[in-house]
Amino acid sequence: MDGEQSLTEKYELFGCIQCGRCSAGCPISLNSALNIRKLIREVTVHQVLEPIYEQGELWDCTTCSICSLRCPRGLKPHEVLISIRSILAEEGNVPATVRDALEETFKHGNPYGQIRSKRFEWATDLKIKNFSQGDRAEILYFVGCAPSYDPRLQEVSRALVKTFTQAEVNFGILGNEENCCGNEIRRMGEEGLFEMLRADNIKLFHNHEIRHIVTTSSHCYNTFKNEYKDDSFKAEHYTIFVAELIQKGKLSFSKEIKKVVTYQDPCFLGKQNGVYEEPRFILRSIPGITFVDFERCRERSLCCEGGGGRMWIDASDSGQRLGEVRIREAIALGAEIIATACPFCLLKLDDAITTIGLADKIQVRDIIELLAEAI
Amino acid sequence: MDRKSGGKYKSPRLAFSECDIFFSGSAEHSSFSNTGAIVDIIVCVKRVPDTAGATIEIADDARRIREDGLVFDMNDCDKYAVEEAVGLKKKYGGSVTAIALGTEDVEDILRMCFVTGCDEGIRLTDKAFQGSDAVTIARILHRLIQSMKFDLILTGAQATDDGYGQVGSALAELMGISHATLVIGIEILDGKARVHRELEGGMEEVVEIRLPAVLTIQTGINIPRYVSIRALMKVAQKEIKVLDLKGLGMREEEVGESGSNTSIERLFLPPLTKEMEILPSDPGEAATRVVKILKDKGGLV
Amino acid sequence: MGRIFVLIEHRKGAIRDITWEMLIKGRELALRSGGELTALLLGYQIRNLAEKLVQRADEVLVVEDEKLSNFNGEIYQRVLSKLISEYKPALTLIGHTSFGMELAGQLELPITTDCIDLCLENGALKAVRQMYTGKVNAEISFIGAPSYIVTVRPDVFPAEGQQTGRGEIKYLSLPIEEIKYKKFIEYIEPAVGEVDITRADILVSVGQGIGDKKNISMIAELSELMGGVLACSRPIVDKKWLPKERQVGLSGKTVKPKLYLAIGISGAFQHISQIKGGHIIAINKDPRAPIFGVADYGIVEDLFKIVPVLTSKLKEIKAG
Repeated sequence: MDGEQSLTEKYELFGCIQCGRCSAGCPISLNSALNIRKLIREVTVHQVLEPIYEQGELWDCTTCSICSLRCPRGLKPHEVLISIRSILAEEGNVPATVRDALEETFKHGNPYGQIRSKRFEWATDLKIKNFSQGDRAEILYFVGCAPSYDPRLQEVSRALVKTFTQAEVNFGILGNEENCCGNEIRRMGEEGLFEMLRADNIKLFHNHEIRHIVTTSSHCYNTFKNEYKDDSFKAEHYTIFVAELIQKGKLSFSKEIKKVVTYQDPCFLGKQNGVYEEPRFILRSIPGITFVDFERCRERSLCCEGGGGRMWIDASDSGQRLGEVRIREAIALGAEIIATACPFCLLKLDDAITTIGLADKIQVRDIIELLAEAI
Repeated sequence: MDRKSGGKYKSPRLAFSECDIFFSGSAEHSSFSNTGAIVDIIVCVKRVPDTAGATIEIADDARRIREDGLVFDMNDCDKYAVEEAVGLKKKYGGSVTAIALGTEDVEDILRMCFVTGCDEGIRLTDKAFQGSDAVTIARILHRLIQSMKFDLILTGAQATDDGYGQVGSALAELMGISHATLVIGIEILDGKARVHRELEGGMEEVVEIRLPAVLTIQTGINIPRYVSIRALMKVAQKEIKVLDLKGLGMREEEVGESGSNTSIERLFLPPLTKEMEILPSDPGEAATRVVKILKDKGGLV
Repeated sequence: MGRIFVLIEHRKGAIRDITWEMLIKGRELALRSGGELTALLLGYQIRNLAEKLVQRADEVLVVEDEKLSNFNGEIYQRVLSKLISEYKPALTLIGHTSFGMELAGQLELPITTDCIDLCLENGALKAVRQMYTGKVNAEISFIGAPSYIVTVRPDVFPAEGQQTGRGEIKYLSLPIEEIKYKKFIEYIEPAVGEVDITRADILVSVGQGIGDKKNISMIAELSELMGGVLACSRPIVDKKWLPKERQVGLSGKTVKPKLYLAIGISGAFQHISQIKGGHIIAINKDPRAPIFGVADYGIVEDLFKIVPVLTSKLKEIKAG
C-alpha cells in the first residue's frame, strides 16, 4: 500500500508540529471520538494505516475545513482525512448508507435514488428556459440534487426563480440533464465517481456553451469553483449574484419582514470560499429585518454537521447535535429566524428544531426565501 | 429425476461415489482435508433494469417492457451472492468465477464481480438465447458449468425482473447435485455445508447439504460492499471469456423460445384489484381526510 | 382431462394456508375440465392431516415415512417425481413458498413459478404471473405436454370454499431411498422482540421511499401520534434501519390491524399479502405502485409533502 508514504508526502505532514490548533477548533470533537491532530500523527508515524481505517469516527468529519484554516503550518488535515476515506472507498469499505448514496448517484445522477426523468418536476409549472430543450440563456441556474428533489428545498429553488424573474435575469436550467455536482461524492471518498461526474458536467456545460453558473447550494459552488479546474465558465453562489442584483438596483422591495434574523455561515460558502459579506448584505437590504450576528460567526461559525457526506452518514455517537447547539444560541440571541444559504444547513437546523421541539420559537429559512417574500 | 440414473454430473474435485454415505464424514472422497477447506465457487449473476422508482411501460409487441430511460444494475440478490462467494473464499481459500448471460452490456456487472473479488468472469451470449425460460437458462449455464471444477454454485434466490426463482434449483437438477434455496447463512464443514434457509414468518431452517451444491442466496445474508469507479477502472481490461451457442456446443433448437417449454404470451399492467378511493394530493386536504378516516375507523380517540 | 395434483404443504404438524388455496383453485380447474382433484400428502405421522384434507379432495394419496419428516426437498422431489410419472396428472400445483421453491421439478415437463392465475383451455394450460416486482403481469403459455407443473403464489386464491364431500384416503407404500445429500438439522423460531406488530390495531409502516435512515424518526413520530406501532417492509430491515421484528411480509410477520398506513411502500406481494384485513391507506408518489392495488385509500404524492402536514395536524388535535 503506497497510501501511508504518499499521504505524508502528498500533504507534507512532516511539517506538522502537533500544536493541536486543528483539533481544538474541530466542531465534531464536541461529540465525536475523532481527533484530527492525533489522526495526522498516526498517519505520519505509523507504518501501517489499517488500524486507522477501522476507526468509525473517520466518517464523522464534516470536512468543514476549520482545521486547515487554523493550521499555523498551512497544512490541510481535512484533505488528509478525505484521502483516507478515498482509500477506504476504493476498497468498497464504506458505511452502507454511503454505499447506497454512491450507487444511486452512479445510476441516477443524484444520491437520493430519484429517477432522472423526475428531476425537473418541481419546475414544470414555472416558465423557465431549459437548456436540455434547446433553449439558450446567459446564465445557467444550477439547481442541485437536494433542491431538485427535496420538497422543503424546492421552495428555495422556487424563491430563486422568482427573484431571477423579477430582476429579469436571462437564465435557464439544465432540466433532466442536470447531474450531481460531485462535491459530497468526493468527500465521501469516491474520487473516481467525482472525476466521472466532473467530466460529464464539464462536457454538458461546453455543449450548451455555458459561461456563467449560479448555484443554489454552497456545495455545488465550492466544487465548480475550486475543483472543476475549467476556466471556460465562472461559477457563483447565488448570494454573490443576488447581492450584485441588489446593488445594481435590479430588485425592488414591496414588503417588510419584521423579524429578528441571524445568519448561519455555511462552511462551504464561508470558511472554504470566504463569502461572508454578500449574505449579510442581502439580509440587511431586506426591509424590516433586524440583523444580529452569532457570537461565533464567519470563520468561527459552528458547523451544522451537514457537509462531508454527513447527510448520508449516521454519527458514530448519539450526543447532542451541533445544530441543536446552534438553535439554542440563536434563541438566546433573540432571533426569530435563522437564515442560511445552504440546503444542508437548512435541513440540519430544521431537524434540530424538530428534535428539541422549538418550532413555535424559531424558524430556519434560506436567505433567498426571505428575499423573495419581500420583493 | 432420479439422481442415480439421471444425475450425470460428477464433480472432478469431489468425486463422491454414489454409495457414499453422506454423513459418515469420510474425508478421503472430499477435497476438504482436516487442514482446512478450500472452496471453488461459481456465482451466476444477472443484469436487470432498476425498476424500483420507475414507471414501467410495455413495448409495442407486448412481450417486453420499454427499456429506454431505465437504468441497469446487478440483480439485488445476486450482489449478496457475489459478496457471500468472496467472503467464503476469504475464509476458506479457493476461487470464485462469475458467469452472466447477455450482450456486451452485462460485462459491467462481471467487472463489478471482479472488483468485489471474483477471479474470473465468463459471459455467455447468443442471439438464439432470446426468449429462454428459467429452465432453459439453467440448461445453458449447465452446459458451461458441467466441465468446470467447483464445490459451490451461488446465485440470487430470485431476479427482480422475471422473478422465476428457478434457475438455481433447475441447474442443480441438471447437474445432479443438491441445492438449497433462500439461503441466509453458510458455513463450510467437512465435505458439506451447513446452511440456514429463510422460511415464512421469520422462521429459519438449518440443513446440512453435501457438496458440491447449488445455493440460492437471499438478501440480508451479508452487507454487499461498494464497488468504486476507480476499482472498476482497474479491472476494465481484465479478460472476460465469451462463449456463444457454438462455443458451448449447443444447438439453436435447444435454447431460446424453441428450446423452452414456456413462453411469455403478452405483458399487461396489473388491473387495480380493489376499488381505491384516491385522496387529494394537496397535503393539507389529504391530511384532513386521513384524520377523518382515522376517526371513522376508530383509529383516533 | 386427467387429474390435478396438489402437493400438500405442512410444517410442524399443521397444514399451511397455501394448501387450502391450492385445493380451492385445483377444485375449480377440476370442475371445469372434468378431472379429479388429488391431494398428495407426504410426511411422517400425518394421518390426522389426511382426515382434514379428505373434505376438500376427491382423493388423498398419503406417503408416510420417517425420512419424509421435516420437509426435505431431496426426498420430496424423488417421491413427487415417482408419483407424477405413475399417475400422470395433467397438472401439479405446488406452493411458491420456501417449501415449494426447494423442489426443482420435473425439468422435462413444462413448469412455471409464482403464478397468480391459471386456466385450462381445451387441455392447454395458461398462467398469469408477475414480473418487475409486481409492476407488470405476464401471460405465460406452455408447449403442449401431457403434464404441467406450476407453483402458486400464496394469498392469491381464497382458502375457503365449498366442501365437496368426502373423498378417499389411500396410503401408498413406496420404497424411500436413503437421504444422501441433504439433512434437516433444526428449525429456529423467530426471536421474541420488544414489540409485537401482529397484535397492533394500528400499524404505520414505512418502506424504501423513506430514502434515509434518519427519516424514519419522522414516521415513528407519526405512528406515536396515531397511537400505532411502527412497522416496515423488507428493504428497511435489509438495510438494518429497523429490526426484523418490525417487518411485515412473507419473511417477516403477518399482521391483521384495523388500520394500516403504508408510507413509501411500493407493495411487493411478499409485503401486501401479509396484511390481512383492515383498512389500508397508502402514500406513494408512483401512481402505479402495486400498493394502490390493495389500498382502500390512496394518496399519490411524495410522502415528504404529506407526512409533515399530517403530523402537525395530529399534534393540533392532541393539543386540543
